[in-house]
Amino acid sequence: MKALTANRLSDGDVVFWSAGQWVERFADAHLFADDDPAGPEAEKAGKGQPTVVIDVYLIDLVESEGIWTPLSYRERIRALGPTNHLHHGKQAEGGAVIAALQQAHGASRSTGRVNLIKRTK
Amino acid sequence: MYQYDTLDKAMVADRAAEFRGQVARRLSGELTEDQFKPLRLMNGLYLQLHAYMLRVAIPYGSLNPTQMRKLAWIGRTYDKGYGHFTTRTNLQFHWIKLRDTPDILDHLAEVDMHAIQTSGNCIRNVTADPYAGATAEEVDDPRVWAEVLRQWSTFHPEFSFLPRKFKFAITASPKDRTAARVHDIGLVMRRGRDGALGFEVIVGGGMGRTPYVGPTIREFLPVDQLLSYVEAILRVYNRHGRRDNKYKARIKILVAALGTEEFTRQVDAEWAKIGAEINLPDAEVARIRAAFAIVDFETLPSRSETFEAAKAASPALARFARNNLKPHKRPGYAIVEISLKGIGETPGDATSDQMEVVADLGERYGHRDIRVTHEQNLVLPHVKLDDVPAVWAALRDAGIATPNINLVSDIIACPGLDYCALANARAISIAQLIADKFRDPDRAENVGELKIKISGCINACGHHHVGHIGILGVDKKGEEFYQLTLGGSGAEDASLGAMLGPALPYDRVAGAVDTLVEVYLRERQPGERFLDTFRRAGVAPFKEAVYADAH
Amino acid sequence: MPTLIEMIDGSARSVDDGFVFVADDQDLPEGDLILTLSRFQTEGEVLLSQGRRVGVKLLADQEVEALAYDLPRLSVVALDFPKFGDGRSYSNARLLRERYGFKGQVRAVGDVLREQAGFLLRVGFDAFEPADGSSANEWQAAALRYRHVFQRAADARAPVYLEREA
Repeated sequence: MKALTANRLSDGDVVFWSAGQWVERFADAHLFADDDPAGPEAEKAGKGQPTVVIDVYLIDLVESEGIWTPLSYRERIRALGPTNHLHHGKQAEGGAVIAALQQAHGASRSTGRVNLIKRTK
Repeated sequence: MYQYDTLDKAMVADRAAEFRGQVARRLSGELTEDQFKPLRLMNGLYLQLHAYMLRVAIPYGSLNPTQMRKLAWIGRTYDKGYGHFTTRTNLQFHWIKLRDTPDILDHLAEVDMHAIQTSGNCIRNVTADPYAGATAEEVDDPRVWAEVLRQWSTFHPEFSFLPRKFKFAITASPKDRTAARVHDIGLVMRRGRDGALGFEVIVGGGMGRTPYVGPTIREFLPVDQLLSYVEAILRVYNRHGRRDNKYKARIKILVAALGTEEFTRQVDAEWAKIGAEINLPDAEVARIRAAFAIVDFETLPSRSETFEAAKAASPALARFARNNLKPHKRPGYAIVEISLKGIGETPGDATSDQMEVVADLGERYGHRDIRVTHEQNLVLPHVKLDDVPAVWAALRDAGIATPNINLVSDIIACPGLDYCALANARAISIAQLIADKFRDPDRAENVGELKIKISGCINACGHHHVGHIGILGVDKKGEEFYQLTLGGSGAEDASLGAMLGPALPYDRVAGAVDTLVEVYLRERQPGERFLDTFRRAGVAPFKEAVYADAH
Repeated sequence: MPTLIEMIDGSARSVDDGFVFVADDQDLPEGDLILTLSRFQTEGEVLLSQGRRVGVKLLADQEVEALAYDLPRLSVVALDFPKFGDGRSYSNARLLRERYGFKGQVRAVGDVLREQAGFLLRVGFDAFEPADGSSANEWQAAALRYRHVFQRAADARAPVYLEREA
């Protein structure tokens, strides 16, 4: 699966595409099947909004314990916030999807480690 | 300290007005992102992972309490109540909104601050010795010449679109606290045989993908010829530096490609054609010099009974004094280093509350003078020994009296993957995990001077090449791995670290550092720092211990 | 044809370009011409002897030293900005004015944006072909935005340290 992401021009906030709009929570992002032409179409539409968003791109997702999460660390950190300030960024809101993202194990990870986020602090 | 006059203030105000117009043109769509990006970068505004980042210039790492309070206020008003001091001695705000930046620049301008030339392929903020004007080691006050360079380089019409960014460091002490030998230009002040002041000129050092310790191209440049000589260097670079590959565009690549001798010949040939009128008139240098002279030092005994009694009563103060106080040129005074490396904290971060405490202390006890070090700490350069107990108590109450300057937990770390759009791996949390291993201050003091420097990518903002232990984050198939190097130094004995072995996964790095320290403690001879032991014993015992442990 | 803005006595004016740029593979038109360096070196002599005014366009990687002995006969030197961020032509311009005392027109061509206007003026450019559609008024406002300058360059502006003495 894939999701479409960008940063909002006016404040830089990370946003995701959902039914023709940009939303702030990854949990609300529309998920595109890998071969769904709607993904690239949405990307094209997003790139056509240069006064709304910048850096529009699709990200790969991976399933982790029943919830789709961004595949790469970088994208998980964008969807959550910095790991050194757990009350900063989107993660501050909490909730099931945030918790799942924080504990996600990547499909490409070969070792048992790789929790993105330290669970204790 | 140097005070901006109406002319300096007008430059800053003009810049803020220009940027306000550019932001409006971007938001309205008149400018595309491709056109706007270089303009915002010229004003220190980056897009990072979560928001915009604004990098505020702190010229040669020197600021007054009024400026520090303004930074605290901006942090509270426009960010999340904190800021991050960088290895370029600037301050970064990580949660900035584009639409707020024109107002922020206006607020900064009120206190003579700005974000001019904190990014882009121009001459960046000059690093100067953070102990300038306070240490007895120096042959002159390097801030005078840093200010000369600030003025000369600001909006330089010929050198604002160089092949790549360009960084100066300047020190006047034999003990180098500026990493001069790994800068594009390092200037080390000396006195000539006749007593005249001059600079040793080092060109083409650097870190990043291709690190070099820079060669000296002139042993002694008379101070009054500084600007014509650096203009010659910059012109040779602007014309001949590579522009086809950003990773080969720094001056270090040009110097290495031409060879030191040929590069020097080209600079000297250009210099011979540049008129002396480029050099700053003596009267202006004298005006700048006068601004840095502190005249109201008191005449004090070298020993403070108040301070001695307080140390005897408080082991914590005594520990702070051992590690964070440095000798001042005046009897009865000390240089106080404020560590922004609290155990478990983010290296270089200060909350707005903490900035205000430092501002108050600078106001009350420190001749209104505050410095930022390239190792991401703060300095109160002129504190009476009598006042140290009060300063320490206030720092302790604010959580910034960590007694670890130059120790193993005084770690440089770039923002890394937690913030930076370029990073491959996190740096901050690695620093936190290592610091936690050395939480016991007795153990940390026993280990002694040990400089750990961590970068989250090959651009080396965390100076890993010159760490006694350097740590470089790399991406291996989406996973964070860390390459360790040993034996680097950014000081007067500059050297580049040597690779320890294969990269380690995230959760093994702190343990590996612990192992390296244990090897050092086992192998060291009296008086040896970690770096000295490594240089004597070589990489083998360290490598064996870390990788034996792995199997 | 791109707009040409000239800076005359501190005032930006939109003017008709009296010169035509001719690429190496184009036939020579009548009138005053701007040539590439190589074409100037082979055909410049003839064109000048016909009484035409001639200019040369230097690319960013060509150096003014190549024109050193020809400059007194040239009316225009056009310096190219292949992209906004390529700063080599600033050095060429400054050397033309300061080292060679060139009195003809120094023209900025290529990816020339109004944000560069102040820098361009200071290193000795006096004519501009803006790529961003700037009007003469916009160019003028951008060029004169900064009331003071910190260092000497190829223009006559007094740096702040001289203003301070006054």
